[in-house]
Amino acid sequence: MWDAFISLMINILLYIYDLVGNNFGLAIIIFTILVRLITYPLTASQMKSSKGMQELQKSKKWQDIQKKYKDDKETLSKKQMEIYKEMGINPLGSCLPTLIQFPIIIGLYQAVIRTLAVTPLQLIKLSKHISDGANLIPINNHFLWMDLSEPERLMIFGFGVPVLAIIVTVSSYFQTKMISTTNPSSGGDDQAAQMGKAMQYYMPLLMGYFAYQYASGLAVYFVASNLTSIIQYALQGRIDFKKLLPSKSDAK
Amino acid sequence: MKKILLLTLTLLVITLSVSACAGSGSRLSASGWAGLIASQDTAYLAAGPHIYAVNLNNGSLKWQYPSEPEKNVSFYAAPVLTDDGQLIVGSYNGFLYSLDPANGNLNWTYEEAEGRYVGSPLVTPEGIFAPSSDGKVYALSLEGVELWEPFQTEEPIWAQPSVTEACDCIYVASMDHHIYAINPKNGVQLWKTEGLGGPIVNAPSIADGTLYTSTFAKEIIAIDLDTQEVLWRFGTQGWAWASPVVDGEQLYASDISGNFYALDAKTGEQLWQVQPGGEIVSAPLVIDEKIYFGTSEGSFIIVDRDGVIQQNNSLEGKLYTSPVAAEDLVLVAPSEQEDLLIGYDPSGVRKWSFSLSEE
Repeated sequence: MWDAFISLMINILLYIYDLVGNNFGLAIIIFTILVRLITYPLTASQMKSSKGMQELQKSKKWQDIQKKYKDDKETLSKKQMEIYKEMGINPLGSCLPTLIQFPIIIGLYQAVIRTLAVTPLQLIKLSKHISDGANLIPINNHFLWMDLSEPERLMIFGFGVPVLAIIVTVSSYFQTKMISTTNPSSGGDDQAAQMGKAMQYYMPLLMGYFAYQYASGLAVYFVASNLTSIIQYALQGRIDFKKLLPSKSDAK
Repeated sequence: MKKILLLTLTLLVITLSVSACAGSGSRLSASGWAGLIASQDTAYLAAGPHIYAVNLNNGSLKWQYPSEPEKNVSFYAAPVLTDDGQLIVGSYNGFLYSLDPANGNLNWTYEEAEGRYVGSPLVTPEGIFAPSSDGKVYALSLEGVELWEPFQTEEPIWAQPSVTEACDCIYVASMDHHIYAINPKNGVQLWKTEGLGGPIVNAPSIADGTLYTSTFAKEIIAIDLDTQEVLWRFGTQGWAWASPVVDGEQLYASDISGNFYALDAKTGEQLWQVQPGGEIVSAPLVIDEKIYFGTSEGSFIIVDRDGVIQQNNSLEGKLYTSPVAAEDLVLVAPSEQEDLLIGYDPSGVRKWSFSLSEE
């Protein structure tokens, strides 16, 4: 099932690669944007749900029960569920679309990496996914200054600077920060908020590490994915640019 | 606390998901399968971090190079012996090594290639011709000195170049879908074939003025060496990866879907076909009336010339490396198995095995 899904993605990726004149970097970017557009209803649903949760948490009724049952977690939880039901809000509504998107995103970059086969064993694995299109093999791995199958370094004054890893880290930071500023769970001082803040720093660093360490095709995917996501949020008018920069409260 | 745990788990899952598939994209983790040759009483096995010299009498280790694994150094191309007593082997770090086959001592290295050595070099009296994944053929003297500017093709070259006595030329099959004939004295291109439809990753076979090759376009192709015209094409079910082998009037070929074919070498007409299971990416070995080949499911098959499977030895690992004949043995080098090398007698009875745990 998973392999069939990856095969589908690889074949679409190769189709785009063929269409854009054997430019794999461009194929990755176009495919990433397409997948992001296709999954946009899920993203929009997530944003809508987040907004509903935000409004709910600002309501007097919600804040009253927080105060009233602050020492009785069980009753608090029961009351919260009653309010959710009353207001027609699904508490999982903001994370469920993310969970559904997760395998799509994992599948996308698995497809990218598998298509960039540069060794015999990788090529054998790739052969199981390709229904046709052996004429496109081997894939042209060169894009801008990069070999997409190798970790990226741009030589500047004799030093190999990991430009893409830096872009991935910065764009991942803005993306996670942007999500957290629209996510109600990051508003308070509870554990969820702490987790949200920790994610703002760990995730970009982790993504940056992957971009630094692994094939630059993956980094191109990360950048395309992050920028598409940021643009989607911007088009929804849900970005508060003032909140995107690190603040003193983040450091606490 | 639960949420912190959830965060940790999320990061862990992401890390594993990415590194599991992304790692393979890095040059440092690249891998293939063992390369093998044998001469007199020794087998030379290029398997990952080392070249092993194995005693054919009992499967014991004579020497290994390097003595300890070195960062970024791994070997998968089969080594080649020269007439003047050198063992030439290319590595994945783009270095070509000349070793003393008696003791594994290093003679010289050539470090100018920009790509990996996936295919074995060709050694002729004129020199060493090493194909690289940077798309070039490097020509060196037997002392490791460059003879001429590397010959450039459009895509990586994984196939060992071929040679025939009938022509003072070497034949280079490239992943750019073409086969080139070049002058070994100066590296000048004599001719190249039309686009053959798909990459070629293994050495063409040559017999009676005809060149036989396999392509990822699911074809076995016969080409007239005088005119470079295609004589016939045979369609396979999967990518044709392994070199075809000519034996008299028959041609043995295979594909990655696991089909093994016997064809009429003159017409390309199929004589018989077997499909024992698993991918076939290595050329068969023909000795007398028997044909030996391996599959990725670990099957070591012996089939007779009529296509009847005589024996199917099942191994734990995968057989991507071509079986090699040595004295009175048939050697197989499985991947993903503790035994790096197994010696069988020609009837398929296991005589010994070589594994690192015994050393």
